[in-house]
Parts: sequence; structure tokens; C-alpha cells
Amino acid sequence: MMERQNVGISDMKLARTKGTLVTYALGSCVGICLWDPLLKIGALVHIMLPINMETNRTSQFKYADSGIRLTINKMELMGAKRARIVAKIAGGAKMFNVPGNSSLGNIGQRNIESVHQVLRLEGICLIKEDVGGSAARTLFFDVATGEGTVKIYGNVERKL
Amino acid sequence: MGLNKFEELNSVQIDALGEIGSIGTSHAATSLSSLLGSRVTIPLPEVKILDFNKAVEELGGFETISTGIISLLSGQINGMMLALFELEAINLLLHRMMGKTVKDYSELTEIESSAIIEVGNILISAFVNALSNLTDVKITPSVPQIAIDMQGAMITVPMAAYGNQSDYIMLLGGTFLMDDKEIPCKLLLAPDIKSLNYLLYRLGIGE
Repeated sequence: MMERQNVGISDMKLARTKGTLVTYALGSCVGICLWDPLLKIGALVHIMLPINMETNRTSQFKYADSGIRLTINKMELMGAKRARIVAKIAGGAKMFNVPGNSSLGNIGQRNIESVHQVLRLEGICLIKEDVGGSAARTLFFDVATGEGTVKIYGNVERKL
Repeated sequence: MGLNKFEELNSVQIDALGEIGSIGTSHAATSLSSLLGSRVTIPLPEVKILDFNKAVEELGGFETISTGIISLLSGQINGMMLALFELEAINLLLHRMMGKTVKDYSELTEIESSAIIEVGNILISAFVNALSNLTDVKITPSVPQIAIDMQGAMITVPMAAYGNQSDYIMLLGGTFLMDDKEIPCKLLLAPDIKSLNYLLYRLGIGE
């Protein structure tokens, strides 16, 4: 029996040993898979925006910085070691080719950059990515093997 | 002062926005009627204040493949309008306008895509003009852009743009009916919170 957990927008799910984490239709959002290969603890975060500047900080997983940090903390509470955790990311597309509007057009790109930066600051090794472009992605993450799969409309599935 | 979050809207304000929506969408429906040569209506446009995941589900699910046409609004109101057409709606339009249908989005030629953008453009302009006349504010829609992809990713475009202000999004819109049959096509207005406050102020129900 394969256990599958859906990760919504601004959401995060954790699994240990086995199970698949999946997040649907990543557009400019970025999905971040974090994995401790020794204990097979895996997490998938679906972030929407680069930096948390909210006053009350109600939804930490909406943002790359607070989302990744909180996820790492939760993994550490389960016994994962930061030095072992590796990351794979997918998303950050530009859905519409909107002319002359930098702030909207670049949300995907800014998300990717913020994720890169936060991973670097947290000392997490980014081992693979499938980012940018103009197509939406559905991301599957197998916690047993650490393998990701990216599904794009009208395309063959890609390994991540 | 005014609202800080979409979820602070009260019922009087929601009703008034629904009224604006119904005038906007009825103009859009009228222009669609003349394009298709059949009576098109939008019975009950709704104002929905939903969290991100609910919004995507209500509009038909994350992975549903749709054609999205987006236009950015600027001027005294900032926001986005999004028209979503499922394949059935595309075929209905293509059949009426060009006498053909497609089995899959990949069969769409450039001319057919432009025709669909134009339909989106007409719907969006009709809505925006009605809104603009009704509230006497200046709104300029941008040149519309098209994408054919998972609907969930297109709906997150306005969410990401205004997501810093709230975990909810306000969607004003509805589904078209042609000869009492539903056309799987939706027209949505997503204003930013500042513009929403301005709109409420113009309507005399701001805070």
C-alpha cells in the first residue's frame, strides 16, 4: 500500500520511511523536497512567495524563507540531521507572458532565487532542480527513495 | 482606514459587489451572445472569499487543463481579470466562429488561438467597461495574454500577486449559460485590497 499525501498551496507534509508526497499545479510557486537519506525522512513544502514580510506570520509555509526553515526544524525534531538533508526543487514558471509588468512577471524567478538563497544560508545542498519556463508542474516525491517526478501537461514525465 | 484583508468584507459590501458583478457579467454575456448568435446569460454571479486551496477546487480543480486569458487592470483600480475556457467552451466558440472543432488543445492553430484571445478580450472589456461606468472610475485593461495549462497554476497568478496581504482571495464572477446549458467558461475579477477599498468608497459603503 502506497500512502499518498497531498500538499496544498502554502502547505507542508512530512513522511518517514515510505509514502509519496504530491503537490499539484505549481505555477510560479515552488515545491521544495527535503530529504534525509539515512533516516528516510522526507518533506515537501509548497511556497508561493519569496520572503515573509507579514506582520502576524500566520501561514509560514506560504513563503520560501519561513517555510523552508520551519520544515527543517520539524525534520530535526524527527531526528533528521541538517548536514545530511538534501533538497530538490521544481516550479517557478511564468504562466503568462505579461508585458511590462516586472513585479508580476518575475514572481516565479524571485521564488527560485529566494529558495536558492535560503537553502544556501541553511547549509542544505541542492542536488537537483526543474525550474523556470512557462509550464505548470505537478510534483511527486517518493520518501522511500528520495526520487521526484515532475509532470507537465503535454510532456513526458521527468525524473527529479 | 478601510479593509486590510478580503475576509473582513461585511455582508452589505459583499451584496454590493455581487450587484456590480452581475452588471459586469451581464454585459459580458451580451457580447458573448452576439458573437455566438445565441442567448447567453450568467444567472448568478457570485462574490467568493476563499482560501487559496478552496478557490482552486471551487473553480474546477488543480490539474484541469484550461485556456486562461489574463488581463492586468491599472488606472484607479488595480487587479486582474481572468477568463477560463474549458475545451468544450473552446469548441463551442470555434464552431460558431470558424465552423470547426478540435479534439485537443494541441490542434489549435495560431489563428484559432487569437480568436479565443479576442473572445476573452471582449468579455473582459465588457466587464471592465460596465464596472468603470457604474462606479465612475478609470480602469485600463492590458493587452490580454493566453496560456493553456493546468488551471490551478493560472488561478495562483492573482493569488501570488496579492497573497502578501491575505491568505484569502476575492473572486467575483460566474459561469455562462447558453440556451440553459452551462458553458464551461468562467470570468473572474480579482482586485487588490487597496482597489477594493476604493471601489467600496466609490459605492458609498467603504469604511
